[in-house]
Amino acid sequence: MATTRAIKLRVNGADYEGTAEARKTLVDFLREDLGLCGTNIGCEHGVCGACTILMNGETVRSCLMLAVQAEGAELMTVEGLAKATGELHPIQEAYREKHGLQCGFCTPGFLMTTYELLQKNPDATVDEMKEWLSGHLCRCTGYQDILESVKLAASRLRGE
Amino acid sequence: MKPARFDYYDPRSLEEALELLQKHQADSKILAGGQSLMPLLNMRLARPKVIVDINRIDGLNSVKSWNGGISIGARVNQRALEREKQVAERLPILREAAQHIGHPQIRSRGTVCGSLAHADPAAELPALALALDAEFVATGPKGARTIPSDSFFVSYFTTSLEPNEILTEVRFPGSPKGMAWSFLEISRRHGDFALAGVVAGLAVDPGRRSITGARLVCFGVGPTPVRVKEAEEALIGQPAGEKSFHAAAEIVSRGVDPDNDVHASADYRRSVAGTLVRRALLQVWQKLGGK
Amino acid sequence: MKIEGRYLFQGTVQQVWDLLTDPRALQHCTPGCKKLEAVGNDEYRATLEIGVGPIRGSYEGKICMTEKEAPRRYKLLVEGSAAVGFVRGEGILTFQEQEGGETVIIVNGDATVGGLVAGVGQRLVEGVAKQTMGQFFKCMQGQLAAHKSGGKTEI
Repeated sequence: MATTRAIKLRVNGADYEGTAEARKTLVDFLREDLGLCGTNIGCEHGVCGACTILMNGETVRSCLMLAVQAEGAELMTVEGLAKATGELHPIQEAYREKHGLQCGFCTPGFLMTTYELLQKNPDATVDEMKEWLSGHLCRCTGYQDILESVKLAASRLRGE
Repeated sequence: MKPARFDYYDPRSLEEALELLQKHQADSKILAGGQSLMPLLNMRLARPKVIVDINRIDGLNSVKSWNGGISIGARVNQRALEREKQVAERLPILREAAQHIGHPQIRSRGTVCGSLAHADPAAELPALALALDAEFVATGPKGARTIPSDSFFVSYFTTSLEPNEILTEVRFPGSPKGMAWSFLEISRRHGDFALAGVVAGLAVDPGRRSITGARLVCFGVGPTPVRVKEAEEALIGQPAGEKSFHAAAEIVSRGVDPDNDVHASADYRRSVAGTLVRRALLQVWQKLGGK
Repeated sequence: MKIEGRYLFQGTVQQVWDLLTDPRALQHCTPGCKKLEAVGNDEYRATLEIGVGPIRGSYEGKICMTEKEAPRRYKLLVEGSAAVGFVRGEGILTFQEQEGGETVIIVNGDATVGGLVAGVGQRLVEGVAKQTMGQFFKCMQGQLAAHKSGGKTEI
């Protein structure tokens, strides 16, 4: 059976197409075949969170999915946050203001989880924020500024 | 690393999937949520020649009432345990324990049945299935058979599923009358594999003094989840409280035979298992209204 | 990691020694041993497929018996490497005759597992090692029983 497939994906509202072996992971396909390099690869076994994207509104580890499995789904990556004009999403703006990043490697993953969290739970408590963010590792910031960024983003999205 | 080459199939029907397994047997692996298999593929710790992806199969994705409890299909993700009302109403311990399964990002893809079929000795769901007397529906080319929980988990990552069978459904019966449950695990970081964990169930007489039912299952302390019957029996008839819980904890510490590894020593695991048992029993006791 | 075990055999120390130094029995009972080829002097080249569940690796390596003091003691060296890592173990097997025609084998040794399998699979290494050793000796115990009922004449 063919191990190579034509793969059609819908990412950030746009349609993309490529051809890859079935064994190619979603994150590799996004980066190498679709040129969407915003999503990073850290551990390739699901613990670091750098590869986190949204699939049908839920955060998933794109390193633990085969690209073929994402066909038919609505995907969102970090490239989908800012407007076409370059205007940052309020979540990105909050991370910028509160220094929620240094090297930025873990940041796309954190942003996508922050996005899902605040979409589904705009009044999330600090404990709930910590619970959601616990699936992401950051080597630079010590996490405090990330938490402050998420709190600020929450309050901005609530219109405060 | 990246996965080694494999032939990939995404059948549209269960029959097709079963035909593939029948043809390829132990050379094939089922891919459901992928949260356990993909890490193995990525690191090339597993190199099946054939992958049978069941995500395009119609059905196998319902959460239904069953026997006072719930039945969960093969494709149902772990987030369902947190989301489904039936789980919250009938088996709230599953919802409570689900938070400890990896992280939300893992639970959006990881399946309940997949975790059970994978049988990681440090996983939460196998222990819960054993504690709650779940039934496993294994479907093969000749039809479905039901495997009771005490014969499903055989060893490290090994269940009694045949290579040509798919775990299509797991059924959790309703909790025994009057039994309340508690779940505790110890891990280095939230979401890590458990160093040791406990599922504890307790029922007491209406006067709320003597123990009429007990369930103690430990995980992370052996090749499969372990039901410590000796400790359960020691609790029956005893007055619920520190003394009897402590005695049960001692039996557990003596009775489990964990391994050493770089994360924790066998002695530590033995000790922690006992401590968790004591705390879990106290927690259930409080849920039942005791002090 | 430390490797330790005690295994009871229903046979004399000579019978047990003969079994535990017989390459055919070794190949039959070593779990996953696909090939055992003598390269002289109690040294064998081996191909071992070891793992649990879906996690398997094919290890190429060698098995040597050294420091032989028939029928009481020998040292076993096992080495194997695969793409996912390596295994190195050495153990002393001591054979003690007991009353009633039984023999106990005491295993005392050390094993190192390294490479990717040891990193990602660390939690399982000891358990799998214990299990593999258990399977090996259980098979050997069965082999001994089969040999004896097969009617080997004894003097």
